[in-house]
Amino acid sequence: MAVEMNMPILVVDDYKTMVRIIRNLLKQIGFENVDEASDGAEAFEMMKKRKYGLVISDWNMEPMTGYELLQNVRADDTVKSTPFIMITAESKTENVIAAKKAGVNNYIVKPFNAGTLKAKMAAVIGDF
Amino acid sequence: MPAAEVAARVRESLRSVKAADLKDTQLMEVLRLAQQLTDTMQMFFGSLDQSIHTEFNAIASYISRTRDEIAQLRPNDIKEQRIPIAGAELEAVVGDTERATETIMSEAEGVMMLDADDPDAYKAAVDEAMTKIIEACAFQDLAGQRVSKVVTSLKHIEQRVARFAATMGVNDADASEDERAEADRRRKLHLNGPAMGGPETGQDDVDALMGMDQDAIDALFD
Repeated sequence: MAVEMNMPILVVDDYKTMVRIIRNLLKQIGFENVDEASDGAEAFEMMKKRKYGLVISDWNMEPMTGYELLQNVRADDTVKSTPFIMITAESKTENVIAAKKAGVNNYIVKPFNAGTLKAKMAAVIGDF
Repeated sequence: MPAAEVAARVRESLRSVKAADLKDTQLMEVLRLAQQLTDTMQMFFGSLDQSIHTEFNAIASYISRTRDEIAQLRPNDIKEQRIPIAGAELEAVVGDTERATETIMSEAEGVMMLDADDPDAYKAAVDEAMTKIIEACAFQDLAGQRVSKVVTSLKHIEQRVARFAATMGVNDADASEDERAEADRRRKLHLNGPAMGGPETGQDDVDALMGMDQDAIDALFD
């Protein structure tokens, strides 16, 4: 099935510059319908109100981390199937394994580039 | 009243009683015992006086040495000068970085939106944007100098605290309950922060882990 290029994507990061970078990279690869949240709690509330085709989240945020957001999403029947990519500077093996166990669809280590983002998105939502 | 003075007064009283030329032998016996008791007590309290005196001298000496060491630590300089200045420098670094990032990103976004139909106008606009980006990169020099000042201050503080701890023989106390709870929370949420010198697990290794089934991952840690 073809990827809907206008699908809403939720970018979650407490660092505004990183949100802006991801937004620009998404635009460069053809996705412009992007919402922003600054922590897991805000993102979870937004996910309850709007169906997103993909969530791209940082890990280290307060008060709710991206890891907690992932756990909450996977435990909630209304949003549990939402594709979830973690983009983070948390690069310990234990982080990758914990995220995988919690149900993350892909994991990108910062710093990253547009090519990596595109490849990981394609692996999760299909080629575009 | 010191022990020696008390003993002298008791002895004087005993002498007065003896001088009264008492005939009662039992009373004389009691007086002799009292005399012995007084002498014994004088020795006991005398040694106690000396011991307390020595203890207080040691405590006074320790307090004086501690005060000297605290003065060497220069806590007021740390509290009123070094820490506030270091904080202000770091805030300035954050501000400089934000401003430079804003300039660089705005110029880059502007270039991405340029109309390339007119090559000469396009080139002029790109050149102008690139010049602004290059100028904005000057923040790195300022940030480097500011961070160096902070590092120097931290080294000063580290040296003073280390000297104080070594001289006073200070051992670390256990972490407070709040600190333990926060450390526990960070461990459970795997909040490790960025690794020094680049990612601890590179993207290729992350991809390999993501492609493995759970049994294969578990086998890595057997």
